[in-house]
Amino acid sequence: MRDLLKECLSEESGFVELRYHHKESRSFFAERGRVESTALRKRTGVGVRVLESGTWGFASTSEVTKASIQNAIQIAKKAARLSSALRKDKIPNLPKANFAVGDFIGRGIEDFRSRSVEEKLKMVLDIQNEATKQSAKLQSVGCGYSEIYEEKAIVTTDGADSFFSLVRPEFRVSAVAKEDGKLESGSHSIGVTGGWDCLFRNQSPSQISEEACKTAVDLLSSELPLGGLSTVILSPSIVGLLVHEAIGHTVEADFVLSGSVAQGKIGHRVGSDLVTLCDSGSSEFYEGAGGTIPVDDEGVIPTNTVIIKNGILSSYLHNRETAERFGVAPTGSARAWEYGDVPLIRMRNTFLLPGDSSLEEMIANTKDGYYLDGAKNGQADATGEFMFAVQKAYRIQNGKITNLLKGVTVSGLAFDVLQNVDMVSKEFKWDLGSGHCGKGQPAKVDAGGPYVRTKVLLGGK
Amino acid sequence: MDRGAIEKRLSDQKDLLTNLISKAKSNGIEQVEIYSSYGYSEDVSLEKNDLNNCTATEENMFGIRVIHEGNQGFLISNHIPSLYTSIEEAYQLAKSQSTPDPDLVLPETRPITNQFDTYDSSLDTIGIEDLVSFAKEALGWRSDLYDKINIDSGDFSLNKGYKLIVSSKGVMAHELGAELSASVMGMGVDGDLVGSFDYDSASGFTKDQFKTLWKKAFHNFGDKCMGALYAKPTTGFQGKVLLPPDAVYSFFLGLFIGSLNGTSLRKGKSKMAGKIGEKVASSLLSIWDDPTNKGFMGSTGFDREGMPTSFKKVLTEGVLESYFYNTYEAKKAKLPISNGCATGGAQSLPGCGPKQLQIAPGNANKDEFFKLPGKTLFVNRISGTKDGASGDFSGVVKGGYLLEGGEKIPVREVQIVGNAFDALNQIEAIAKEGELIGESSFVPYMLLDGFTITGVMEN
Repeated sequence: MRDLLKECLSEESGFVELRYHHKESRSFFAERGRVESTALRKRTGVGVRVLESGTWGFASTSEVTKASIQNAIQIAKKAARLSSALRKDKIPNLPKANFAVGDFIGRGIEDFRSRSVEEKLKMVLDIQNEATKQSAKLQSVGCGYSEIYEEKAIVTTDGADSFFSLVRPEFRVSAVAKEDGKLESGSHSIGVTGGWDCLFRNQSPSQISEEACKTAVDLLSSELPLGGLSTVILSPSIVGLLVHEAIGHTVEADFVLSGSVAQGKIGHRVGSDLVTLCDSGSSEFYEGAGGTIPVDDEGVIPTNTVIIKNGILSSYLHNRETAERFGVAPTGSARAWEYGDVPLIRMRNTFLLPGDSSLEEMIANTKDGYYLDGAKNGQADATGEFMFAVQKAYRIQNGKITNLLKGVTVSGLAFDVLQNVDMVSKEFKWDLGSGHCGKGQPAKVDAGGPYVRTKVLLGGK
Repeated sequence: MDRGAIEKRLSDQKDLLTNLISKAKSNGIEQVEIYSSYGYSEDVSLEKNDLNNCTATEENMFGIRVIHEGNQGFLISNHIPSLYTSIEEAYQLAKSQSTPDPDLVLPETRPITNQFDTYDSSLDTIGIEDLVSFAKEALGWRSDLYDKINIDSGDFSLNKGYKLIVSSKGVMAHELGAELSASVMGMGVDGDLVGSFDYDSASGFTKDQFKTLWKKAFHNFGDKCMGALYAKPTTGFQGKVLLPPDAVYSFFLGLFIGSLNGTSLRKGKSKMAGKIGEKVASSLLSIWDDPTNKGFMGSTGFDREGMPTSFKKVLTEGVLESYFYNTYEAKKAKLPISNGCATGGAQSLPGCGPKQLQIAPGNANKDEFFKLPGKTLFVNRISGTKDGASGDFSGVVKGGYLLEGGEKIPVREVQIVGNAFDALNQIEAIAKEGELIGESSFVPYMLLDGFTITGVMEN
């Protein structure tokens, strides 16, 4: 594929970027004693981006032939020329980057190919059937397995020339429990970049199912917590949501240029000394983080970007265009979801570095607060105000975990929450489950970290 | 790409898909359905108060559903030359399963009485140059009228295409469509002050319709961003919330409508199970679904399974009148046929849901809502989470105002917690005034009472 793309570029001058993308998604879902759905999704094409007259032009084609790709190049060039007159802030040359050259074959692909459809169907069906026996209160248990296999080739006129492949399996269980007309839900999911063994390395499918079902049943007897500003210990899944939503989005350089709260704050204190925050294309601490990429969608090798170092904001996340504007090197953060999407600045694996405390010490040192666990969803705002939703909130009183409460929405101002971090655990975990991030288009990301103690606004009664 | 070229492509594709299905049947694959979605689009995007990118894309996606002895395989592809191979792969997926359900069958064909063609040929004279000029105009509005607003992103699109469904049961239906659309997202920035994000959008079948609606949407966006710029924290309280049409539609009603989905009902995940004919909401609330309303965006003569759509009452003065079914869920509910409520497109299996919800206006005057005694929280938007089974929702209020003593005070760092099913009975008043959300669903302003509002400041 790299050869075909290079042939298409052989007569081009100026900047042209070709991105071939083939994506196959398989999904299997069982509920109420039967396989509810099996689906295979295949999408292939080439995205063409040109920089001409100081403006971007983009076109795509699902026909992977030289003639079709070259036609798309001409359409993209025409689009760029048409818009150039309007664009005020012309894009200068793109900076040199640490381009990936060669083939990068991901781990776990053979494993994914060698397991049969029947094996995967049996797994979701068996787990679903086992789960419903756990409690008579369970109304419904759904069990899903999915995997995305991707291959991409990225070739540009200024030196990128790579092919890579990867596979991302995911497993999820969702349960609904009922008692006295009350319905409650519980869910648990995992997702990795790698093979089946990597997916179930820490928890078996049965354990994942048990956790989801237990949450649904336990929540039947829970109540809302008291609303207000509270001391909280966040589990790694919640820390992952916090650093992704509250901080990560505000430091995406396109968003910074639009006026996010992080604008002009490089070198300023934005968190306590205990806070060191990174975003990486690799899987630090252990393999398999869901947002791992060997090459970004501009053909750049991703770095481990230290965003906050000991509380001081030290870097934004960049694509090639914003790197040029800020006079720094690209961080390898440009990502596109499908071949027909333009690469945007996106996070990859976002994490807080572990500290010195243990979870036990943190709980014992908390007189009045909450332990929050089970990430649901989250969003961030330009103001740095974020919200994320948790499944479960446990009350902490006098250094001990007491009763389970319904998890609700947690919110705060990003940098205030980081300034209030006063304990960080030694333990570390990637734990965003099967989460995807939305920003005009989806992206597979991961996030995590240690257990962290801080203050947030808890929604409640 | 003009109407003539799209019609030619559609005609050729009908022949192609019909032949593929015949070939499949002759090879023993009895139940095959192909849903084709073709789109050609030109887009101009904005970023950082400037033009960002111009794009042209074209794609044809196919959703292939094969049912074999009560088991179903589904495949999505954009590769026309290998469509027959894809049918065989979907067949293999169906055959690999061991949990058949006799109720899982493709629907028999039914006549489609409402014919829709929303492709106005005047859009064939529009191109990227026009989209660039719309973008230029919007950037001018920003600099002339809203210079404290930063446009984070925006998009102007011309979309043309068709949807086509063909099945081995004789279903054959298509609709052509074309529209202009635009959206904008951004926030107010004044020195170190940054306001909450806001968003608005508009679309139209013709250039004139689009331009009128887009101008209104952009100014609405600008006003909302400016309103949120100087927001301050406030104290929590128990009391009333005022929901504008967007908030009613996107957050409050979504959970209730989701609970009327045939799948949720069958799986025991819906609090509305067994409640047809019962009063489940305030008598002030009446809702109907009308996909046959020509002139509204998104109206259609057939659903995801090629079954005819129709007008149906959902809630009349608080009394529940209907659920939403596709063919499978209708059979599971012991009904002979679906009620034309299969949702989705080429990239998904048929789900269940409404197409064009309309909420009846009330008798109240919305301006009076802004002058109520005591405290009322105006909830422009909720950034939060909701649980379909329990109905619980909670979230941060964005672009909100505290209405107190005739004053309208912008607030931030405020959370609201509630339950959608309880909230149906907490409606205190519905306004005469409302908006056509997405140019398709009429939604009025609503006033609700009895909510817990959490503020960051101590009471």
